[in-house]
Amino acid sequence: MIFKYVLIGLLGVFCVYVLALPRTALLRKGLVLSVVALMLIFVIKPEWSTTIAGAVGITRGTDLLFYLSNLVLFFIAFMYYLKFKEIEARFAKLVRQLALDTAARESPPERHTA
Amino acid sequence: MNSYAWHSIRAGSALQCGVALPSPDHESRQDNVLPSDLRQALGRTFVLVRAYNEGPVIGDVVADLCKVFPNVMVVNDGSSDNTATVLRGLPVAVITHLVNLGGGAAMQTGLTYALKRGAEYILTFDADGQHRIEDALALLREILTGKWEVVYGSRFLGEAAVDMPRTRRLILKFAVWFSNLTSKATLTDAHNGLRVFSRKAASVINISQSGMAYASEITSQLVEHGMTIHEIPVQIIYTEYSLRKGQSSSNAMNILIDLLLGRFLK
Repeated sequence: MIFKYVLIGLLGVFCVYVLALPRTALLRKGLVLSVVALMLIFVIKPEWSTTIAGAVGITRGTDLLFYLSNLVLFFIAFMYYLKFKEIEARFAKLVRQLALDTAARESPPERHTA
Repeated sequence: MNSYAWHSIRAGSALQCGVALPSPDHESRQDNVLPSDLRQALGRTFVLVRAYNEGPVIGDVVADLCKVFPNVMVVNDGSSDNTATVLRGLPVAVITHLVNLGGGAAMQTGLTYALKRGAEYILTFDADGQHRIEDALALLREILTGKWEVVYGSRFLGEAAVDMPRTRRLILKFAVWFSNLTSKATLTDAHNGLRVFSRKAASVINISQSGMAYASEITSQLVEHGMTIHEIPVQIIYTEYSLRKGQSSSNAMNILIDLLLGRFLK
């Protein structure tokens, strides 16, 4: 099982990387690390996933992991969508303000008449 | 003295707005055609045109508008073609987005600008030449009755639209249905670019959808704030150009996704 060691190595490196990240909220760090720890457990003891899967009505452990990883990925994609939309809104605000300021500079002061 | 007169002097354009810089021609024409209350309202109305790469048509559309409306503003939404050059020769206020943001963002910029300039009515008019000026005046006349805060043009009321492709009709009908579902309004046309807002109505609009999903968003906000919306029939001129420039049918899905997911942003 060479791949097992490759996975363990990669996850280990990832763990070190997360731990070394500066200024990341402790809760977030803990969350990421616990997910990595869970992954490590399933890499080392794959049969455990089957046991858990059986307990929730899924036959194969790999299926359980497949569903879970899909859910997690979907969640992450959604969070990034929200983040993107928020940045887009801020960006629009910035560009709008620039446009309005330039327009105000180029036109004379308020002389609106009915 | 109209606020845009300065623009036309600076631009040195031969084109002049009828009310702002009266030339005998325009004056007499408007005296004959327009009732005095409508003529007065023109001075308090800002026409908002949003343009993204509309170089081939924007000149004619805006020039025609200027013959009737003294206050025309164009939000140039980061066009990369000659839109800016064409506009330079026209007596209009140009507000330029440095980068392209999308229809909703351009709309919000225009509304903010017009409100700052003291607009009492804001009329939106598409840059691609699909609207008729007589329809714009009809909308204005309707809002002047004081019965509504907002008047929308609808292509599905009254006469049939000119050369509307069948797929376009289907998608627009779906958009209306969906928009009505989400905004608790009963409209017959949700994505018509020809609209007029009172100052009060324009003040409550705060568009967060930069893209084309903003149309439904505006209606939701207006309904939320108890603004009365009325529709009158208008005709849309479907030209080869406007169809190419307009919303592609596949974009409807993107709009839908934006609207659904956009709810999580509030």
